[in-house]
Amino acid sequence: MTEDYEHGEECKSSYAPILLAAGVALFLLGIVVFLPLAVAGAVVIGAALYKFFKDGAEEKFAELKESLEEKWPLEFLNKEKLGVWVFLVSEILIFGSLIVAYAYVRLSSSAWPVATQTHDVILGMANTIILLTSSLAMVLALYSIRAGNAKGLKIGLLSAFALGATFLIIKLGVEWPMYYRNGFTISSGLPGSTYFVLTGLHAVHVGAGLAAVGYLIFRSFTGGFTSTKHSAVENIGLYWHFVDIVWMFLFPLFYLI
Amino acid sequence: MPGIKMYVGIWLGLVVATVAEVVTRSLAGAASLLALIILLISSGKAITIAMYYQHLRYEDKRLAILPIAAVIGVITLAVAAILSMSPGM
Repeated sequence: MTEDYEHGEECKSSYAPILLAAGVALFLLGIVVFLPLAVAGAVVIGAALYKFFKDGAEEKFAELKESLEEKWPLEFLNKEKLGVWVFLVSEILIFGSLIVAYAYVRLSSSAWPVATQTHDVILGMANTIILLTSSLAMVLALYSIRAGNAKGLKIGLLSAFALGATFLIIKLGVEWPMYYRNGFTISSGLPGSTYFVLTGLHAVHVGAGLAAVGYLIFRSFTGGFTSTKHSAVENIGLYWHFVDIVWMFLFPLFYLI
Repeated sequence: MPGIKMYVGIWLGLVVATVAEVVTRSLAGAASLLALIILLISSGKAITIAMYYQHLRYEDKRLAILPIAAVIGVITLAVAAILSMSPGM
């Protein structure tokens, strides 16, 4: 395989990076699952590194660096939006890891209380619908300002804020005290600690979202947004919908299954 | 980009799916099968929000690299966790 570059030089492509990545994946998986697999991974890593140096790694990296600068795959995104998406990727990994840990603990336990015995399904469903409606309000706020409708933006943002605050009031003011009265607490065992840690972390994210939406409301009332200048509404909206997405998994995991 | 009717229609679909999850829980049947159905509905809801409210469907396809990479990472972790469980657990 060869590729021609603008400066006229020719560079050979290499499969060594793919081999190296596969070796690292195999090695890490082997550490967790089956040690001989880790040994096989180490052999693959060694082979990939040998291939690198045999082909002249220094020259290859130099070409690669130049090539990456020319072909940055997300150049179509503005920096603010890219930043928000990278932040959301980190959030997916945080919540994803915690949810996997919860599933692991739950599947490993010999006994786990039935969801209906410890959680109020009606309150959970109500909160899900409230959060979904708040997402709708946020997306309609964005739609409004794109159409130059400042009043629609304000109504949308105020609705999203009020619904998000209602979610938190139900969660922290009604549900949690009720569970504590019933003896289901953060220190009552794994079911309690996993529930309060995950929903607590989610509540913190809703709180942060409310602060961000509060900022948008302030800006909208001081004429900070127009049909052409509203990137903050779009970017904070992305975060707000993400918080909604996380709840779409927490609700069934804790209240239904 | 979608219009108001579509946004409201999607919201209605998400609410109906939420009710469907709660109804599924009360159905008679194997608990693991019902749990799988509920999780499939949840995943559908999450994907719908990402596609239509976060506008991934209308963005450049290359943007999907970021969330898909993260989801692959989480799935890899889940697979490793499942494989590391001893049969007696």
